[in-house]
Amino acid sequence: MKPTLLLLLAVTVLSARAAEYSCTISSAKGAPVADAVVSLVPLDAPVPPVPADAHVEIAQQDQEFTSYVTVVQAGTKVVFPNRDSVQHHVYSLSKPKKFELPLYNPGKAESIVFDVAGLVTIGCNIHDWMISHLVVVPTPWFAKSDAAGTAKITAPAGRYRLEIWHPRGAVAAKELTLADSAATKETAVLTLKPDRRVRRSVGTKTGGY
Amino acid sequence: MALRIFRFRRFSTQLLLLLAGLFAVVQLSVYLLISRVNERNAIEHIHQNLQIGARIFHQNLSERIIFLTGTGKTMANDYAIRLLLKQEHLDAQTLASNLRSYAERVDAPVLTLFSPESEVWGTNKEGSGTENVGPFQYLIRRATENDMEQASGFSYLAGQLHVLVVVPLYAPKPNIAAWFGIAYPIDTERAREIKRTTLLDVTFSSAENEPHPRVLATTLAPGMAEKQTGPNSAAAGIMDGIHTITLGGEPYVTLFEKLELLGEAPARIALQRSLTAELAPARELERLVLFISLVALAAATLVIFGIARGVSRPMRELARHTNLVAAGDYTQRIDLPREDELGQLASAFNHMTEGLAERDRVRNLLGMVVSPEIATQLLHSDLKLGGEERVVTVLFCDLRDFTSFSEKMPPTEVLTLLNRYLDRMSGIIEQHGGVIDKYIGDAIMALFGAPVATPDAARGAVAAARDMARALEVLNAELQAEGKPVLAFGIGINTAQVVAGNMGSKTRLNYTVIGDGVNLASRLEGLTKDPAYATPIIISEATLAAIEPRPSARALGEVRVKGKADAVRIYALSARGETKPPYSV
Repeated sequence: MKPTLLLLLAVTVLSARAAEYSCTISSAKGAPVADAVVSLVPLDAPVPPVPADAHVEIAQQDQEFTSYVTVVQAGTKVVFPNRDSVQHHVYSLSKPKKFELPLYNPGKAESIVFDVAGLVTIGCNIHDWMISHLVVVPTPWFAKSDAAGTAKITAPAGRYRLEIWHPRGAVAAKELTLADSAATKETAVLTLKPDRRVRRSVGTKTGGY
Repeated sequence: MALRIFRFRRFSTQLLLLLAGLFAVVQLSVYLLISRVNERNAIEHIHQNLQIGARIFHQNLSERIIFLTGTGKTMANDYAIRLLLKQEHLDAQTLASNLRSYAERVDAPVLTLFSPESEVWGTNKEGSGTENVGPFQYLIRRATENDMEQASGFSYLAGQLHVLVVVPLYAPKPNIAAWFGIAYPIDTERAREIKRTTLLDVTFSSAENEPHPRVLATTLAPGMAEKQTGPNSAAAGIMDGIHTITLGGEPYVTLFEKLELLGEAPARIALQRSLTAELAPARELERLVLFISLVALAAATLVIFGIARGVSRPMRELARHTNLVAAGDYTQRIDLPREDELGQLASAFNHMTEGLAERDRVRNLLGMVVSPEIATQLLHSDLKLGGEERVVTVLFCDLRDFTSFSEKMPPTEVLTLLNRYLDRMSGIIEQHGGVIDKYIGDAIMALFGAPVATPDAARGAVAAARDMARALEVLNAELQAEGKPVLAFGIGINTAQVVAGNMGSKTRLNYTVIGDGVNLASRLEGLTKDPAYATPIIISEATLAAIEPRPSARALGEVRVKGKADAVRIYALSARGETKPPYSV
């Protein structure tokens, strides 16, 4: 009985490792799209909890956030260390988590746990050009597309809802079934809005100096 | 003298030059007029544009001031800056990064934060010197002293012209916690903006009386603006107002204005428009007008040439005919079927030619009826009654017994014979300078020394008489050979003072001579009938005396002429000059 259970468990674990999902994302013009968030939300199986010590970092450095797009599973602690030479005033007015970290000095780090899934757009009150997107997803199976536009997720076989999100306004979702020991490769085309981030002037752009 | 070159022989050329010249003058005047009006309009238009351009420029500046003030006030109410200012120690670096963020937000390249006492707390430009804060501090002092909500002005910042605004950071109003100093450059981009709306060239330069006047910004081509800046420039000494200056060989209508600066000599704004550029469309039109004018002139020249030829050809035809008439050819007629004056002239000319031909015929007839000399005398003098006294030798020649002679012959034969005789005698008389005064039946009255006075009239008369005698011998020989009766004549010659001239009525005149001398010549001819004298030619003493040397003649004694007191000595003259018988005649 026990060996059988162990064997079953082993098979389950093996099969869970076997399903590989890969999605290559391109824009309507055919260019690869980086920083797109791909997540697989299980429809039948329960979602595993977030490990207690899990944390993700969004630092401030050179008057910028270190990452433009960050993905975390709901319940993950996010640390905001100031590795800059100036103070920052990090805030968000996004619905999943409204918060403010009033002016804090270089070397200090504040942390916040993001419980609710959704998009949290983070800014700095005194530097208009600073922006970071924190995507809180209700699943541990997610990935961010790389420079080639490819996002890879290894997940157990089963039925999922595939969600793709990009800061330039594109959202896509569909149902998906991953089979045992099978590699699923897909492509997705996103229609992106123009990039409207605040441009940070570097040094002497205008004026007669 | 100058007009001489326009004196062409041909009327058509004159007409052509006159009309074409007139046309060209009119066209040229129109062209010049249009050109002048265009230029005046262009200048007027530029003047208006310059004034509009200046208004737009000032309005742009005031709008910029309003914008900077408004955004500055909004910015002063920003939460983050308050948190920064709330901190115990002012974090200069964070403030600078914050100001950079604000500078982006309000689109102002210079953003400086001052304490209420106008000391610098931070600026968006790292490392910018204190030279750039002075004008702001000046404005803050002015605002503080005058209790103003904000202040603005123009000044140089780092050598560049700027519009400056200071707005307070209230915490809360009216308590001032800090001042924002915002500056916006009046640079080439601003100049271009004005040029885009007004098409005017814009130049900002430093004060004319500075030691080193310089161009701050310009829309002119490189190097052009420098030509109107400085004490040796095209615009030297000009302070304000509209002037036309020449830059790079082109006239520019230019409006100069001063821009007052904070505590410094005013900068100069030059708005200008190239007159050449403004006139370009008009010049295009003028070129078209000129082209049309030239084409019209060419066409007009052709038409005028045609008209001139239409006039000049009949004229030349008339001239040719006039020459023909002058040469005596009256047979030609001009055929010119025209209704105009030239047609009338041709018609009149034809009439004239006919008249001349008529007169010529009359004159030829006259030459036959009277002797050529008399005819000439008649033609060349005014025909009027009266005469003059002159010495004339009169010759009378009469046939003997011609009356009885003519009764024996048919009249036509008599006339033929008489004409034959008269023709010979007249010819001899004319050969010797005599003039047939008239034929009186078979008699000839001839004058020597009238109507043209000649010095040897008497000698001519004597020589003629001798030749006539010889000619009669010849004629008689011919008549004898023909079996016809021979002729004999008597000649009387006298030289005397007579009256020569036109006699008769007003409508019918005769050139002749009258006087006792004439009667005497007739009497002497009558004496030749006397056999006692035995001579056919009798001449008076007066005639002999008039010939030098005196010819030999046989004296016949004296005769007393009827009605004359003194007797006249007469002489017989033979054909060959013999003085004794036997005589050949």
